Amino acid sequence: MFENRAAGLALALPAAVFAAALFLVPVALLLSEAFQSDGTWSLTAYAEFFDSARNRRVFWRTLKLGALVTLVSAVIGYAAAWSITSLPAGARGRIFGLVILPLMISPVARTYAWLVILGRTGIVNETLVGLGLIDTPIRFLFTETAVFIGLLQLFLPLMIISLVSAFENMPKDAIPAARVLGANWLQVFWRVILPLTREGLVIGGTLVFTGALTAYITPAILGGAKVLMLETLLYQRVTVANDFAAASVIAMILIVMSFSANLLLKRIATARGARG
Amino acid sequence: MLHKSACPAATLLALTALLAPPALAADRTLTISVYGFAQDAFKDLVYTPFEAACDCTLVVETGNSVERLAKMEANAADPVVDMAVVSTHDALSAARKGLLQPIDVSALSNYDKLYDIAKDPLGDNFGVGYTFYATSIEYRTDKVTVDSWADLLSPELAGNVALPDVTTNQGPPALYMLGKALGDDDAGLTGPMTAVGESVDDIVTFYVRSSQLAQLMQQEEIWAAPVGRFAWGRFKDNGLPMAWATPEEGQTGGMNVMIMTKDNGNEALALEFMDFWLSTPIQTALAEALVDSPANAEVTVAADVAENLTYGAETVATLSLLPPETILDRRAGWLDQWNELVLE
Repeated sequence: MFENRAAGLALALPAAVFAAALFLVPVALLLSEAFQSDGTWSLTAYAEFFDSARNRRVFWRTLKLGALVTLVSAVIGYAAAWSITSLPAGARGRIFGLVILPLMISPVARTYAWLVILGRTGIVNETLVGLGLIDTPIRFLFTETAVFIGLLQLFLPLMIISLVSAFENMPKDAIPAARVLGANWLQVFWRVILPLTREGLVIGGTLVFTGALTAYITPAILGGAKVLMLETLLYQRVTVANDFAAASVIAMILIVMSFSANLLLKRIATARGARG
Repeated sequence: MLHKSACPAATLLALTALLAPPALAADRTLTISVYGFAQDAFKDLVYTPFEAACDCTLVVETGNSVERLAKMEANAADPVVDMAVVSTHDALSAARKGLLQPIDVSALSNYDKLYDIAKDPLGDNFGVGYTFYATSIEYRTDKVTVDSWADLLSPELAGNVALPDVTTNQGPPALYMLGKALGDDDAGLTGPMTAVGESVDDIVTFYVRSSQLAQLMQQEEIWAAPVGRFAWGRFKDNGLPMAWATPEEGQTGGMNVMIMTKDNGNEALALEFMDFWLSTPIQTALAEALVDSPANAEVTVAADVAENLTYGAETVATLSLLPPETILDRRAGWLDQWNELVLE
């Protein structure tokens, strides 16, 4: 872009300094605590963390819910994105607006709404009892199910937005061409749509998985202390035990999980694309 | 030339004088650090009247105690906050870190009016109690009767009870009283935590905020829960038949104290503010607004107000309070034990 490389670097410098001073350095300082023990560099804090059965269970629960929310939002997201991009321009805009609308509402408000909806006297239980499907209300609140529903609703729009964008970039005649050549719908999806929308899946999947891993409000409100996740455990270590070293370990684990998910999704998409 | 250059300078000076805010009542400014709770009421009943009386400006910082203490610690060399209000155990934590100075109680004209329990709860005058609260069990009278802390784990309440999380101020005292009811009043809380762990599936949740509890009660998710008296106002008029239990083992509770940061250089004004807050009219106003139960023993309120507070020497004397050093020293251990015995 720039004929003079120095000019390009100079223009990038303010943003780079800003990011380094206000983000990278503080994060590095905080995370460095996770690699220290008695004043020397070590991985003891990690060994101690994973030595606890409770911590392992919290880790797996966080990973499981994050993966499940990503998987289900991908399934729903593909169906939604495909339908949205098939609509005429006007209707597409309106439906897309509805998808974006929840993102404009505070996650706290959205999560509190679920507290009412999923309650014993909430609409879900009242409907199930009213239809005669159950005799007594089911306890949804403060269970993994409630956290899953809350996280899915919170992050599904991110997956749909990413996939809609990917669908819009897909050649319009790709699906009809595949059909004309005799592919059934499963083959169309697997061999045409998936490879051509993999970038959207990677971006959406990373956003959803990272969001589900690091969300605090939703697990705290809908799961409470009985459904501890890594982020609620991190908060507990800081606010109660004043244990910044353990909190840094958890933060590092969350960062590694997010990056790993991104790499994994890229790998899956690339492999799929290579074969497709 | 001189004339030419002086003109813009004079204009600038005049403009600056015109645009500058009026001189603040003061050169005297006091920075306080308080809980976020009921700040509108505190502004009307305490802060604004004090500013009028002292001809000074109050800067109010709010937040949870962890954030506020962390900030005090970070600014220890040059304190931003002059005085703060925190729980007794948080105050003790700050004192142990060398963040506090003893309060010159001889400068507090209202000091002698305080209940004895509030006068020097930390020792060495590191804190002065300004309010306390009882913690007991509130319950739905149409569903159950609660006469003992052990009733929290009764079959009648299985699936319909919430307990305070161990990380809250209500958690350890409530567990301590449950232990007493179960015949184990050791401050290690192993007995009650084991009992809670055995009944964990019968407990709807471990709440962290009383506001959350109010919603659960309203939605009929729960019928009973231990709660601080300061939150009782949220429940008593919720349209459901509610009662405040007087368990046979007694009630527990907690106390909040005023503290003075070390070397803040603003001690005189901070003492003036503390004295104002502890005065009978201000403590009465806060009590009548159901904001804080009075630590000033001279406060008298109507029976209907008293009913909603932790009020009177007799009530105060019966509270089984966990000593602040016990809470502070055992807090991290309780958390590990809780995670192991209850959440495993």
